Formats: sequence, C-alpha cells, structure tokens
Amino acid sequence: MAIRAPKDFWAGVMFCGFAAIGILAAKGYSLGSAGKMGPGYFPLLLGIVLAAMGVILIARSVVVEGERVSRFHILPLVIIATAVCLFGLMIEPLGLVASLAVLTVLSAWAGARFRLLETVALTLVLIAFSIGVFVYALGLPLNIWPSL
Amino acid sequence: MDVIANLGLGFAVALTLQNIAYCFLGVLLGTVIGVLPGIGPVTTVAMLLPISFTLQPESALILLAGIYYGAQYGGSTTAILVNIPGEASSVVTTIDGHQMALKGRAGPALGIAALASFFAGCVSTLLITFAAPPLAAIALQFGPAEYFSLMVCGLIAAVVLAHGSLVKAIAMVVLGLLLGLVGTDVNSGARRFNFGMTGLADGIEFVALSMAIYGIAEVICNLEKKLATSVVSDAVGRVWPSVADLKYCAGSILRGTGLGAILGVLPGGGALLASFAAYTLEKNVAKPPRQFGQGDIRGVAAPEAANNAGAQTSFIPMLTLGIPGNPTMAMMIGALMVHGIAPGPRVMTDRPGLFWGLIASMWLGNLMLVILNLPMVGVWVRLLRVPYRLLYPAIIVFCCIGVYIINSKPFDAFVMAFFAVFGYIALKLDCEPAPLILGFVLGPMMEENLRRALLISRGDPMVFLEEPISLAFLIVAAGLLLVLAAPAIRVKREEALKE
Repeated sequence: MAIRAPKDFWAGVMFCGFAAIGILAAKGYSLGSAGKMGPGYFPLLLGIVLAAMGVILIARSVVVEGERVSRFHILPLVIIATAVCLFGLMIEPLGLVASLAVLTVLSAWAGARFRLLETVALTLVLIAFSIGVFVYALGLPLNIWPSL
Repeated sequence: MDVIANLGLGFAVALTLQNIAYCFLGVLLGTVIGVLPGIGPVTTVAMLLPISFTLQPESALILLAGIYYGAQYGGSTTAILVNIPGEASSVVTTIDGHQMALKGRAGPALGIAALASFFAGCVSTLLITFAAPPLAAIALQFGPAEYFSLMVCGLIAAVVLAHGSLVKAIAMVVLGLLLGLVGTDVNSGARRFNFGMTGLADGIEFVALSMAIYGIAEVICNLEKKLATSVVSDAVGRVWPSVADLKYCAGSILRGTGLGAILGVLPGGGALLASFAAYTLEKNVAKPPRQFGQGDIRGVAAPEAANNAGAQTSFIPMLTLGIPGNPTMAMMIGALMVHGIAPGPRVMTDRPGLFWGLIASMWLGNLMLVILNLPMVGVWVRLLRVPYRLLYPAIIVFCCIGVYIINSKPFDAFVMAFFAVFGYIALKLDCEPAPLILGFVLGPMMEENLRRALLISRGDPMVFLEEPISLAFLIVAAGLLLVLAAPAIRVKREEALKE
C-alpha cells in the first residue's frame, strides 16, 4: 500500500501518538462511572476520539491523493528552540543582559542572512528596551546582572 | 433607560486617564502590527498577555481589544499600498485596493477603508450594547447539560467555518481539550499528565502555549517564506474620499457592516471570514458597472467594513457566554481567568464596569483609529521599510521574557520551546492551530459541565437529548457536520479556484 497523501498520513500518525499517550496515562487514573466521573474518564473519552480521527486520516491517506509535505527547515527550528530553552536556563542565575544576548544572537543566526554589526546593534537595542519596559516601567522583579 | 445608564457607567470607566492611555496604546500597537506583514493581532495579543497581567482587568481588556480591532485598520494600509495583506483579514482588500493605488487613487482607497471601518465599528458597538444583555440573561438560565452542548456546538461550528480539513480540525480541537486537562484535577486532586514533572502541576501555561504557536512557530514558518519587501511610493495624495465616492459606496458599507456583524458573532467567525464573505457578496449584488478586480472602490469599502464589524461582534459570544469564537477571543478569556474572573454570563452582572467599560472603549478606540490612520498614513507606510530580519528576534525576545514573567518559572520556557516545535510540525502538516487553542481554553470547563450534567442525571447520557435547549445545540452541531462532510471536496475546489 502506498501513501498517497503524506501530509494527512503524518498528521494521522501524530494524532495517534498523542492519543496513545493520552489513553495510556488516563488508564493510570481512576475511571469512575458516568454518574460519578473519576479523573480518568474524560481524558480517556477524548483519547479515543483523537485516536479515531488519527485512524481516519491514515486510512484516507492511502486512498485519496493528497499533498506532499514540504521540506522541513530543521536548522532554524532547532536553533530557535534551543535558544528559548537556554533563555529558561540562564534567566535566573545569569540575569537579563546575558540571557537576552544569547537569545538574540542565536535567533538572528537562525535567519537567512547573518550580519554581525546589525546583530550586535539589534541585541543592544533589545536589551535596553527590555530593561526599560520590564524592569523600570513595569517594575517586574527581574535580575539584570548575574546574581552572585 | 438601562442602556444609557450602562453606557454611562462604561464611559466613566473608559474615560479615566489611565484607560484612555491603554486604549490609545492598544489601537496604536494594533495599527503598527496591522501594517507590518508577518506579525498579526493574535501574535501581538499573545505577546502582550503577560504584560496585561500587571494591569487592572479593565485596562488589560481595553488594551488587548484595541490591538485586535486596530489591526483591522492597519492591515488595509499595507494591502492597498504594497499589495501585501498586512493582516489575513485584508487579503481581499489587496484585490481592488492595490488596483486603485496603481491608478493613482491610493488616497481615496485608504480613506474609504478607514471611514468604512469607523462606520462599521460604531454600528457593531451599538449592536453589542443591545444584544449582549438579553443573550447573557438567557445564558444565565443554562444548566450544565446546556452548557456542555453549547460548547460542543461552538467548537464544531468553529471547526466547520475554519478552512482546511475537517478531520484534522476536529483532531486539533480534541488534542486541545486534552492539553487543557493537564495538571491538577479540581475535583479529585489527582495530578494528570504531568509525567513526573512538577512544572506541570498547575497545567500547561496558556500563555506559553499560545506564544509558542502564534509567536515562535509562526516566526520559524515565516523565515522559510521569504517575505518580500516591495518599494512603496510615498505619494498618497488626498486621503479624504469625495462625496461622490461616499455615496457610491454607501450601500456596500452597509451590506459589509451587516454581514460582518452577523458572521462575527458565529463561532469560528470574526474578521477573516467576514471580509471574504463581504467581498463575494459585493461581487454579486453591487450595482453595475461592476469593475471588481480593476479598482472598484466598493471592493475596498465592503470588506473593510465587514472585517471591523466582525472583529468587534466576535466579542459578543466571548463576553456573554464565555465561549471564544476565534483564537484572539480565547486569549481574552485567558486574560480574564488570570485576573480571577470566570468568563461567562455573570461577567456582565458581577463586573459591569469591566463589561461596559470595554464596550465604551471600543467606540473611543475607533475614533482614535480614524485620526491615527487618515492624517498619519505616511508614517505607517515608512514602517514597511523595517525588514523582517530585525523584527523576528524582537518577537522571540518578547515571547521569552513574557513567558517567564507570568509565573517567574523558567520551566515555562521549556514548555514554550516544546510547543513551538509541535506548532511548526502542525503547520507543516496543514493542521490549523486555532481549534487547538479554542479546545485548550474550553477543556476544563467542558469536563466540569459534563461531569455535573451526568452527576445530576445519575450517569444517563440521554440528558443531553432530553433537555430541549441542549438538544437544539447538538442538532445544530450535527447539522453543520453533515453539511460540511458532504461537499467537502467542492469547498476545497472553490478555494483552489480562488487562488
């Protein structure tokens, strides 16, 4: 059997995956009955519906012709996701300046054209702006410099 | 008169110096992001959610609402002058608007767009004033069974009216509902789906999810698309349309406003659907000579009136029923909940200042927008010279700081990164994120109402069919599904033909 609609097929696989996680986890919680629902009841119900949708998508994708999945641009995705995680790791111990510098430079690097001077300028502007808005104007308790 | 007393209260709230300032900030930001392609109102509202939490709830909603309807004004500027829709809802404005600009009539096109939007804004504000109280009064009578069926109906309608595959959209709704259940179950105290992570004990942070999808995942998608920056001529000329133009457009503006106002109320509606529908209607009913596609001013007036009317009336179900019709409204609900206000019909009676203040601010905001847009259009056009490569790191920076400041929890940044990757994959597979966001917001409420309805009926699911109002909602939902399931292929073909 050939997959005729790759977009639908992979979407179906994704939904089935989520449904499997949902159903397996829901089985760990007490189910209760319809009249006295436990924490597992509604999630299990949703998991089954989601799985059904996933199966329909997969079944349809081998029958009906559909679109191909366009190329994944892995690099920008990975760089930006990593940058966001790094921000989460750095913000408390190292403060705004350091974490924003890393975040901005990495984000700019994920784009098509990287220009050093422009990125440095942009980083400085964004750091100054963020400190002005969040720390001074809104008075939020954010570390500016590394806390020692 | 109740209405006058209510509006009086509303203006008393909206006209405080602080709220005027937030209203202005909202419509200004809305205009700016409306003009800029690649950043839309949903993204901006998501980015400003964390900041709005530091404000009074009244000010927060006034600010966020201003962004949404402000973007409808700004979007038309880019559409007319550069032939790029600044907003998805101004896609149809590019057709005739840009033709007018090429013929040297950019000024009147911009002018009629702003005036049509203003007219539509005023009318739909009035409509909210009169329609919301009775609707909320009805909704107050609803029991859990009615509410559950209403939510099913609302979600199904939102899915049906959204474009793309029906099955994928339903799957996204269900996935959204599931994600909404992550965290501590209010009834049993059981911790669900936290996979041993303490960071998930309070559930998935709504702001993290919405910024991940509408902020970061969208940036990554835009990076592939290569947004073209085209050259804009600065010569806009006289922006005030002539009296003849106004007369010529009057019918179109009225039709656009009416259609937009109706479509805005429907779940899944709002500005986007309204503008498309209004343009299609205009092409069929406008008085000949019809020169649509070649710079007919009515092709600008009708959709622009419709998108603004739709943007504003979509507040009606959100404010009166607590049911969001589109992602922006879902974020408004998120904003309400963070301020400890349970969305639903009680908002109007419990927090009249908030409700009527928001409505009064819309009128005020529309007035500001006309002033902002007509004389200052040259300033906004210059914004288009800002390249996207400078813009997107700023979006990412704002999302990261924003996600951290809500709970001062670095873990939320990881949640955001995870859903950014998920959002990117979903977009690549043509799975629209809007139903997911709607489902996420409604998940806990839906479970609670299902639980209560079945508790009252002692576990008999027939209760949803025995209550007449509940049955009506379910019949509508089933009807919508049937209608769409049959000619699904035809709809797709039409879409393809349009492009």
